[in-house]
Amino acid sequence: MKKMMAVGVLVTMLFAASTGIAQDKVVVTEWQIPFLNCLTGPLASHGSMYQWSTNQAAADINKAGGIAGKPVRVIGVDTANDPQKGTVEMARIVKESLVALGPVPEPVIMAAMPIAVENQMLSITGTTSYEYASKFFPWSVAWFPPYPKRFPPLAKAWAQEFSDMKQVIQFVEPYGPWPMMADAHVAGLKEAGANVLKPIEVPSDAVTFGPLVVKALEQKPDGIIFACNAEKIAKMIKELKSRGWKKMDHLLVFSSGDDAPLYTVGGEDINGIQVYNYVNPDTDSPRWNAFKSAFMKDHNGMPPFSLSTNYYDALFMIKEAIEKTGVTGDPSKLKEERKKIADYCANVKKFQGLMFNWDMKDGVPTNKPLYIFEIQGGKKKLVKEIKLAG
Amino acid sequence: MSLPLYYFLAITAVNILMSWALYVPYRMAHLHFLIVANMAISGYTAAYMVLSLHLPFGLALLAGFVLGAVIGFAVALFIGDAPTFAVVIVGFTFIYITRTVIENTEAVGGTMGLFGLPNIGGSPSVHRWTILAILYGLVALVGFLIHRFDHSQLGRAASAAFIDKDLTTSLGIDIKKMGILLQTFSCTLAGGCGVLYGFIYKSFHLDYFTFHVVGILMTVIFVGGYTTLWGTLLAAPVLYGVPLLFPPEVASWRIVIYGALLIIVLVLKPEGFITTRFVYGIESFLSRKRGKRTPLTKPQEDV
Repeated sequence: MKKMMAVGVLVTMLFAASTGIAQDKVVVTEWQIPFLNCLTGPLASHGSMYQWSTNQAAADINKAGGIAGKPVRVIGVDTANDPQKGTVEMARIVKESLVALGPVPEPVIMAAMPIAVENQMLSITGTTSYEYASKFFPWSVAWFPPYPKRFPPLAKAWAQEFSDMKQVIQFVEPYGPWPMMADAHVAGLKEAGANVLKPIEVPSDAVTFGPLVVKALEQKPDGIIFACNAEKIAKMIKELKSRGWKKMDHLLVFSSGDDAPLYTVGGEDINGIQVYNYVNPDTDSPRWNAFKSAFMKDHNGMPPFSLSTNYYDALFMIKEAIEKTGVTGDPSKLKEERKKIADYCANVKKFQGLMFNWDMKDGVPTNKPLYIFEIQGGKKKLVKEIKLAG
Repeated sequence: MSLPLYYFLAITAVNILMSWALYVPYRMAHLHFLIVANMAISGYTAAYMVLSLHLPFGLALLAGFVLGAVIGFAVALFIGDAPTFAVVIVGFTFIYITRTVIENTEAVGGTMGLFGLPNIGGSPSVHRWTILAILYGLVALVGFLIHRFDHSQLGRAASAAFIDKDLTTSLGIDIKKMGILLQTFSCTLAGGCGVLYGFIYKSFHLDYFTFHVVGILMTVIFVGGYTTLWGTLLAAPVLYGVPLLFPPEVASWRIVIYGALLIIVLVLKPEGFITTRFVYGIESFLSRKRGKRTPLTKPQEDV
């Protein structure tokens, strides 16, 4: 008898292992994922891009059979970059939603995420830094490792490209995490043996950039890193060129600066500069190629910007979490199923992102690469891939 | 109480109180935007007291009011009788200065902001009820004080100063003293609101205190009516609440709707929806119903 029971248990275990965790009957007719996004207001261009990505992800998922056999719909909820609106919308969402995307951007994250935490619902803040997201663990996950892990190796690799680069200066705008990103560059630059000059603060409301550029040039830098708004970067590069700056590849634009205004305002003047970000448009895979061509079709031929893939991947991560943990969408199991999704996402292994696979450990990605590109004619040419230590 | 209702009520109360903080000095034509800087200064200070010094919320809130009063009084010593434009410039300048100081002060989180403000009373539910009780207690108290002020000799003096400062001075009214009093009152109120605002969100970020706040307050008092306190009481919940009920397709046009509404009101009803004359009419009606005599002292005329 005992032998038969043991065989029975073994068969059951083998069956479970072969099919993954058995999916209970899904009770929803459609998975609805709210996305607290800034669709109007000063960051609407970013918000519409993120919304486009999630809609694209939902379309791709639905084309392939949906999530556990049911279609998914992303519901864009506009925060208008306004914490007052963001909190009320999040308070509505946590009543019934299984999981959410956003909020965007940081002021709304800070105001609205405590509501998600209090109600134990995962909300993936896919475009902010670890330094913000980690404050809301385990009910958020970080899309990037902490600054001290990712930026020093990058700044070091960039500085080591050029033997003549002895003195580096940074333009830093005091917005959200950007000064911290600039601080993290400093460690890598020093490791590369560069002398880091006194940074130039770029006021958020600056409209003329000549005096800032002159102030920087007075310190005689050989290389410059820009950690400020894309449009301001483009204008400062124009000012630098008009003052005789020749070594264009000695200019490095940080990831948040790799945005449409850099190209539209910078035009030909940004040819030769380098940028770093997390998206490599030269990746060659059927999935990426399809995403890229759809993006370019809907964005006047422009290739996907930095951060454009984050919420695409986030929706696929939710899909995987639902399917692998047997989430049913049953309102009576809301609390339990919310936790299943949060736990799964925090420690997912070999997640198949749009561009590369990565692992998460306790809510933090461990092995995402960073890329340095050179800009020529509005296109990016890969210079270097920086693999971060796991 | 449902969570959306809590946030709606709490934020509406802050908007009402802050609009009154703008309304009071505007009774003598001072558009005093220093109140937005006061919110930030007192809010961040209180958050620092709670998070870093581990002082109780009550003490931090009190400190917020006091700090607002001190800064308001110190600035009013210089601009208590200044023309409208000068007061506006001083307010904007203070917002810039405050932002820059906070951006560069690591102790209060710099550009990142402050996270993790604790629940008052130890639980989310107690926290919410405490916040609402304080806010609506303040709405009742401040509303009563402003109502008394509007019907007082001082209120009528402020109305006179709104129209002509020189004429008011010739009547023996000390414009500067009145300016100091009203500005200090509004800054005290703004200081307390700043603390409560952050504790609603349980965090502080510089973008909570931008010119966007100025825009909201201006819309509330100019659409509601800038000659009585009642206009604010009507406009704050309507302007904040109605867009939340819009379907997403319409919500995207919220700013356009606000702008159009402001233009329409300024063209068709420049004194706002609720006017002094309207309030006076209601007060007279209620007095007659109670069998009382009509008040002898008329409130200010609409200006």
